[in-house]
Amino acid sequence: MAQYLPIFALLVLGVLFGALSFLASGLLAPRKKPTAAKLAPYECGIVPDREPPARFPVRFYLVAMIFIIFDIEIVFLYPFAVVFRQLHTFALVEVLVFAAVVLVSFLYLVSNGALSWGPGKWLRVGLPARTSESTIARVSVPPPPGRAA
Amino acid sequence: MLAAAAIHVPAIRYLAIMPVIVLLGGAILLLAFQSLLRGPMRLRMATVATVAISLAAFGLAWWQWADVEAHGPYTTIAHAVVTDGFSVLVTVLVSAVMALSAMVAEGYLAREGIEGGELHVLALVSASGAVLMAQANDLVIVFLGLEILSIALYVLSAYNHRRAESGEAGLKYFVLGGFSTAIFVYGIALTYGATGTTNLTQLADFLSRNVLIHDGLLLAGMALLLVGFAFKVAAVPFHMWTPDVYQGAPSPITGFMAAVAKAGGFAAFLRVFVSSFGVLRADWRPIIYVLAIVTLVVGAALAVVQRDIKRMLAYSSVNHAGFVLLGLQAASAVGVSSALYYLFAYGFMVVGSSAVVTVIGRHGDRDHDIAAYRGLARRQPLLALCFAVLLLAQAGVPFTTGFLAKLQVVVASVDGRSVPLAVVAMASAALAAFFYLRVTVLMYGPGPDAAPAPVGPGDPPLAVARRTRLNAALLLELAPVAVADQPQRAALAERVPVPALAAVAVGICVLVTVVLGVFPAPLVDFAHRATLLFVP
Repeated sequence: MAQYLPIFALLVLGVLFGALSFLASGLLAPRKKPTAAKLAPYECGIVPDREPPARFPVRFYLVAMIFIIFDIEIVFLYPFAVVFRQLHTFALVEVLVFAAVVLVSFLYLVSNGALSWGPGKWLRVGLPARTSESTIARVSVPPPPGRAA
Repeated sequence: MLAAAAIHVPAIRYLAIMPVIVLLGGAILLLAFQSLLRGPMRLRMATVATVAISLAAFGLAWWQWADVEAHGPYTTIAHAVVTDGFSVLVTVLVSAVMALSAMVAEGYLAREGIEGGELHVLALVSASGAVLMAQANDLVIVFLGLEILSIALYVLSAYNHRRAESGEAGLKYFVLGGFSTAIFVYGIALTYGATGTTNLTQLADFLSRNVLIHDGLLLAGMALLLVGFAFKVAAVPFHMWTPDVYQGAPSPITGFMAAVAKAGGFAAFLRVFVSSFGVLRADWRPIIYVLAIVTLVVGAALAVVQRDIKRMLAYSSVNHAGFVLLGLQAASAVGVSSALYYLFAYGFMVVGSSAVVTVIGRHGDRDHDIAAYRGLARRQPLLALCFAVLLLAQAGVPFTTGFLAKLQVVVASVDGRSVPLAVVAMASAALAAFFYLRVTVLMYGPGPDAAPAPVGPGDPPLAVARRTRLNAALLLELAPVAVADQPQRAALAERVPVPALAAVAVGICVLVTVVLGVFPAPLVDFAHRATLLFVP
C-alpha cells in the first residue's frame, strides 16, 4: 500500500487546489453585479449591434484539423530528434514513412478545400433529388457546368 | 539521462506484418491518389483498387500459411506480433470479407449518389486493425488494433450523412465504444500492475510460474479486459449499441462490421484468455458460461420480435456471438478451432445477407421492414433463393457451413463438460430459426399485390374527405398526399435493381456457405490446424 501514497497525496492536493481556488475566487471577486456592457460579447472593442452568430462555417474545423495533424507530427518528431543518433537509418526511414502518412492526410484535407476560402468551386456536388420528404439542396453553391441537377 | 540508455531496434520479419502493411498502405495510397485527382474519384476505380488490395492481403496470408506450415509459428518485433495458424485464418477471413464488402458497397454508393472512395479507404483501415488484433502478442498491440479497427468503424457507421439514423449510429457507437476502450485500457494497466508485463507469452509464463496470493488486482484487470472484449463482440449485457448501430449504419457496412469487428474482437479475446489467462481458466470460465447463456437467449429472443431486418440481423449477430463464446468457454484447442470455424462461416453468411439487405433497401436505404420481402421469390427468384440459403445457413440447416459451425462449438462445449450450456445453445438456435424461417416464408409467400391492400397512412384522410363530402379545396389539398403514397406501396411490388458486383458478392458468399457445407473437409481441416501459438 505504501507505494500508492504519492497517488493519494496527489489526489488530496488536487482536491485541495480545486476547493481553495473556488474559495479564493468567492472571497476575492468583486461583489457588484455585472452590468449589461460587461456581459456583452467582446468584438475587438466595437460595440456589437447584433447577437454573435451561433453557427460558423465548417471550414474552421478543417483548419483545426490541419493544426492537429501537424501537432501530432511534432509530438512524434521531438522524441525522435532526441535519440535519432542512436537509431540510425531505420528510425529515419520510419519517421519519413510517418511524415508521408501525415502528408497524405494533409493532402486529403487540402483537396477537400480546407484552405480554399470563398465560394467553393471544388465542392463535390452530388445534389440529392428533391422528394416529397426532403427539400435538401445546397443553396449557395451552383452545380458545376454539365451537372445541372 | 534517458538518452544515455542504448536503444535496440528489434528485428522485424516483414512477412509477418505484410498483410497489415498492404491493407493500411493500400488505404493511404488510395487516399493520396484520390486527393491528387482534380475531380471526384471514379467509384469503379476505387472499388477495383480496394478489391485488388484485399486480394493481395489474401494472397500474402496464404504465403504466411505456407511459411507457418513449413517452419512453424513464430513471434517477431520483440515478441509483440505473432504469426500462427490462428492469425493467418483470421487474415484470410478479413481480407476476403473486405473484398466482398467493397463490391457490395459500390452499388450502394452509386445508388445513394455518394462520391469518392473514402468509404473504401476507411474499410481498409478498419480491416488492417482486425488483422493486427489477430496477430497481437502484446496487450498494447491488441489495444492498437482495437483502436484502428474501431475508430474507422465509428466514421463508417456515420458515413451516409443524408440519413439521420446513420449519424445517430455513429455517435452512439463512438461514445459507447470510447467508454469500452477506456475500460479495456484500464484492464491492461491493472494486468500490467499485477504481473509486470503486457506481453501475452510472458503473461502466460508468469502466471504458470507464480501463484499470486493477493490476486485481486489481476482478477480486476482480467474482468475489465473481459468487459472491453465483450463490448466489441456484442455479448449481452454489453450489446446495447448493436441494434441501433447495425440499423443506422449503411447496409454494406452493417455486414462488414458484423463480420470484421467480430472476427478481430474474438481473435484477440480468444488469444488473450485461452493463451495468456489459460492458467486462470477456473476463474473466468464460469463468467463466460453465464455471459454465453445470457447472450444466446437474449439474442435469439429479441431477434424474434424484430420487424426491421437490420435490427433482426443485429440481434442474430448477438446470438451468434453467444455461439462463439461457447468455443471460448471450452478453453481448449478444440474450442478455439471451433470458434474460428464459426467466425469464418458467419463472416461469409452475414456479408452475403447484408448484401441482399442493401439491394432490397432501395434508394435511401429505407426499405428494411420485413414486409419488403413479401413475395420476393415471385419477382426475383434467384435473389430470394440466395437470401433464403444464407438465412437458413444462419439458422443452422444441414449442408451449410452454419450447421457445421454450430455443431462444432456444441461438441467442443460438451467436451469441456458444459452440457447445460450446449443444451441452451441448441434451444436458442431453434428459437432463432423462427425468424429466419419467417423471412423465408414471407419471400416464398404471395406478393403484396395478392395480399389484402394494406391501409396506407395517406388513405384515411382522403376516404374521410370523400365520405363526409368536405369541400373540394380540402380534397385537392389531400389528394397529392395520397397519390404520393401510392407509388411507394406499388414500388414494393417492383423488381429491385441488383448491381452486378453485389450479385457476384452474394454469389460468392452463397457458394462458400454451401460448397464448404457439403464438402466440409478443407475448411474444418484448416480450422483444426490453425492453432494458437500457445495453449496451456
